[in-house]
Order: sequence, then C-alpha cells, then structure tokens
Amino acid sequence: MSTWLPNDDRLGADSDAGSLRTRAWDRFRFARQAYSRVVPELGPVAYIFIAPFFILFTLFLAFPIAYTIYLSFFRYEGVSGDRWFWIDLGPIFIEVPRIAELSFVGFGNYLRILGDGLFWQSMFNTTYILAIQVPIMIGLALALAVALNASFLRFKGFFRTAIAIPVSANIVAYSTVFLLLFNEQFGLINYMLATIGVEPIAWLRSEFWARKTIIAAVTWRWTGYNMIILLAGLQNIPQQLYEAAEIDGASRIEKFRYVTLPQLKPVLLFVIVLSTIGTFKLFAEPYVITGGGPTNATITIVQYIYREAFQSWNLGYASALTVIFVAIVSVISVIQIRIGGDN
Amino acid sequence: MREQRRKDAVWRFLTYTFVLAATVVMLVPLYWMIVAASLPQELFIEFPPRLYPGTSFFDNFAALQERSNFVRSIGNSVFIAVVYTIISILLCSMAGFAFAKYEFRFKEPIFYVILATLVLPIQLLVIPLFLMMSQIGWTDTFRAIILPWLANPIGIFLMRQNMQSIPDALLESARMDGATEFQLFYRIALPAMRSSVAALAIILFLFQWDLFLYPLVILEDSANYTIPVALAGLEGSQRVYFDQIMVATSLAIIPLAILFLFLQKQFVSGILAGSLKE
Repeated sequence: MSTWLPNDDRLGADSDAGSLRTRAWDRFRFARQAYSRVVPELGPVAYIFIAPFFILFTLFLAFPIAYTIYLSFFRYEGVSGDRWFWIDLGPIFIEVPRIAELSFVGFGNYLRILGDGLFWQSMFNTTYILAIQVPIMIGLALALAVALNASFLRFKGFFRTAIAIPVSANIVAYSTVFLLLFNEQFGLINYMLATIGVEPIAWLRSEFWARKTIIAAVTWRWTGYNMIILLAGLQNIPQQLYEAAEIDGASRIEKFRYVTLPQLKPVLLFVIVLSTIGTFKLFAEPYVITGGGPTNATITIVQYIYREAFQSWNLGYASALTVIFVAIVSVISVIQIRIGGDN
Repeated sequence: MREQRRKDAVWRFLTYTFVLAATVVMLVPLYWMIVAASLPQELFIEFPPRLYPGTSFFDNFAALQERSNFVRSIGNSVFIAVVYTIISILLCSMAGFAFAKYEFRFKEPIFYVILATLVLPIQLLVIPLFLMMSQIGWTDTFRAIILPWLANPIGIFLMRQNMQSIPDALLESARMDGATEFQLFYRIALPAMRSSVAALAIILFLFQWDLFLYPLVILEDSANYTIPVALAGLEGSQRVYFDQIMVATSLAIIPLAILFLFLQKQFVSGILAGSLKE
C-alpha cells in the first residue's frame, strides 16, 4: 500500500545521461518532487482511507435524504415486489428492487400540510414547550454555572457531578421515571404537594399540566448538560477583567452584568440555539410520558410524523412533513453556525 | 466594611442553598426510582408512600425477567452500542486522517458535503431507512440498527480537526523508515489521538444507547429489543407494574451513571466536543 515517493536510489540506477527517455523521466520526477513538497502526500491511499466511510455515507445518509424528498411528492401504496432496474450480463444478473409502490401526487402532500389541523397543533405544542422550557433551563444552567464557578464554593466536584449526572440517563428510562414521579395517585410530586396542603394535581390528564410535566422532565435531563458548556465558557473569561472591575469598585451584580454576560454572550447564544433545536426534535419524552395527550396537547412534530408514517402508513405525506421539519431545523442550525462563526 | 462582610455572608448562604437545592432536585428522581424498584408494588402505591428503599429489588427483578427478558435487552443494547462505537471510531478516524493529512481530488467538496449533513436531524432518515431495510429484508436485525449511523459526520469532523495537529515531519520520517501508510495511521496517528478518541467514543456510545425512534420502527421481535424499545413496551402494556418497570429503569440508568462518575473528564470533553461543533 506504500505510495510512490521520489527516491533517488531506486531511480538512479538506470539514469543514463543523454537518453531522452531518462531525461523526460527526470523532469517528471523533479516535478513530482516539487509537487510533493507543497502537498505532503498523494495517490490512491487517501481514497482507501475514506472509502468505507464514504460508501456508508452515500448509502445510508445521502441517498435516504434524496429519497425522502422524492417520496414527499408521492402517495405510498405499499411495499413493492417490482424491480427498479436490473443488469443482465448472462452469468451476472444484478437486480435492484423498487423500494416502494408509489403514485405521484405532485405538491399534493405539501398542500395538505397547509390545511392539516393536527400538524399546526403539533407545531404549536412544540413551540409552546420550547418557549417556556428553553429560557427556564438556560437561566438555571447559567445560575448554576456561575455559582459553581464562585471561588468560595467548596465541594465543587461533588455538586458539579450531582447536577450533571442526568446527562448519562437514558432518554426513555428517565422519561419512565418521570411518568411515575408525576403519577396522579402515588407520584412523589403529588405527595410532596399534599404535605404542604395542595390538592393532588392531575398532571397527565390536564392539557396545561401535561405540558408542564414534559417541560419539567426535559429541564431535569438537560440543565446539567448546558451547565457544563456554560461552565467551560465561564472558565475562559480572563480573571484580569474581574480584577479590573473590582478595582473600579464594581458590585457583584455589576460584575455579572458588565463582565460575565458580555464575555459569555457567544457561548450563551450557542447553548440557546442548541437547546432550541434539541427541544424542537422532542419525541421520546411525550411518547413515554403523555403519549401526545391529553387530546393531542403534547403531541410534538416528530411524534406526529411518527404517527403518520408508522401508524397510518402515510409514508409519502410523512416525508413531506419531514422535509418541512428539517427545513425549520436547518434554518435554526444556520443561525447557530453564524453565531459560532462570529467567534 | 462590616456591611460588606455581611453582604458576602448572605451571598454565600444563598449560593449554597441554591446549589444544594439543585443537587437535591437532580438526585431525587434517581433516589425515588431506586425506592420504587426495591419495594413490592403494594407497599409502593399506598398513600403516603414509603420514602426509603425496601428489600424486594431481586424479587421484582425476577418478576420482570419472567415477564419480559430485560437482561437480554440490556445485552442487545450493550452489544449494539459497543460494536457500533468501535467500528465507527475506526471509520471516522481513518477518513479524518485522510482529510487531515492527504491531498486528493474533490477533497474539499466531499468534506463540505459531509459537513453539511451535520445540521440535519437524524429523524429525517427514519422513513427512507425503514423502507430500504424492509426491501432488503433487514428489519429486525442488529446490522440494520448499526450500519446506517456508522458514517457519523460529527466523528469525521472531530477526527479531522484533531489529526491536523499531527506534525507532517513525524509522518514523513516514519515514511523514510519504510512505514506503510496504514502503519502511519494506526501506529502514529491513532495513538496520538487517544483523548479525542475517548471523547468520540462517549459521543458515539451515548448516541446509539439513546437511539429510540429508529429501533422502535425497525425491531419487531421482543428478543431483539434494545433497552429504550423494551422499556416503552413495558410501560405501554395493559397493567403497569411500576415496581418491575423501576427495576428496569434502574438497570438502564445506574451502570451509566457509575460510568459517568469514573469517566467524568471524558464525558465532559465528549459533551463539549459534540456540542461545540466549531
């Protein structure tokens, strides 16, 4: 697998001065050598290195993306026994099956989305959840990061570990734990409320409280995650800035307002966008905790796509929904990259 | 001065209270899970509930195991996540090495195409992958769960980024000593990347470990279920046995939490690397 390298010993043996062929060869060798000084390595080795990745990438990422867009213009009629194309070379016969039986509907699926009440409901639910959840979570994560960064705080390692431990919790497993915590009859939350004299709340049967339950669960799982990122950002703020502010007689709040916040702004914006995307993609939590209910009050976009695709088997329509969903996420992501790019 | 000291004391008190409260909030659900898992159902659903663990964890476990083979699901999840992580690290670092240290035609365009897919949510792929897998008869197999995610854009991006720091002179001198290109990769580049590989391993393992929607669609036979799919099935069944379900969630959460305690540094660098794609 070793690549060709300019090697004088190997070529020197037959470099017969005067021979035209050898001189041309020398010139080629020289050019090759000069080129290899600019470019460290060339040759097919690089292709061998990227081939496994690239083949899988094409088959399982690039092609499915293209196929989703294609599918969004069709109605799915079922699996197909047909073949898409075949190559018959006598002894070699290659057959590629048709992936599905489809009938063309043009922009029909997209037009249907416009008038689909449940789609707009799921958009509303998702936006509602993230509009409340993201500010609360980022606020908490920021406050915790600042507190854990305070020089006087002891047992930092313990606190940091305890607060960050939910990042290791399996999504479905922790959702199941929350299903129990918020159980109406014997959940811990209602018990604690009862000890301070509050009537039990029907967490999962009321539209209002079901959404709050989802928000509580997601906040538990991801606050520590955001705190870790913010803490790393805080530790990158030069200490001199604080010292200078102290000399100027700045109070604690002033230091936070005029040093911490402006310095942390890029990281803060970054975690806000990251969390927005994360909450936008919500699926497992409502699937496990509320099942999308009551009366579709917590059904999220991804959950709606899942229902359309794998319960109603409207795979064409679900693909159109996916395209819209991805378009929205991509717009948020582009904003994210812009923010990252400013750094 | 005295005023200032009093203010400081109040501030300290508030900070400790806040951090302590957050710690309690984070740990209580996990504690409650263990309490529920270690009590017989009758004791647990009475009101007021018991607030300290009992001794029937293993009885509950036996009942769970009888009803649905959860140990098998754990085995499936571990097997899938480990195999996936190892192969994906190999593929990503090989490709990352090529993008960092070689020049070849279409290098830039290929890399930017891969980079562009970083922003795409993976839910995008579930429908087409399901159709592809059904057509080639791979539904209900582990390879259908592992293969599609091996070419991980975050992985290649991280490895390329970090492998750029390997000095060209080092590779060049190894070449002079007669090392093949593949030896350069696994003798020099890969060992130098140990900490990046550890962070990437955490990212990949957790990605596969938490994958839910896709295996939910692909896996049919309960013998092949991964932990999330098995848990969703337990929760959705006719009668809900919270004692057994909490045993299952404990088995899903606690080993990873312990791993987190020991490998905290790697987890943190994994989180930072995985989130700050820049």
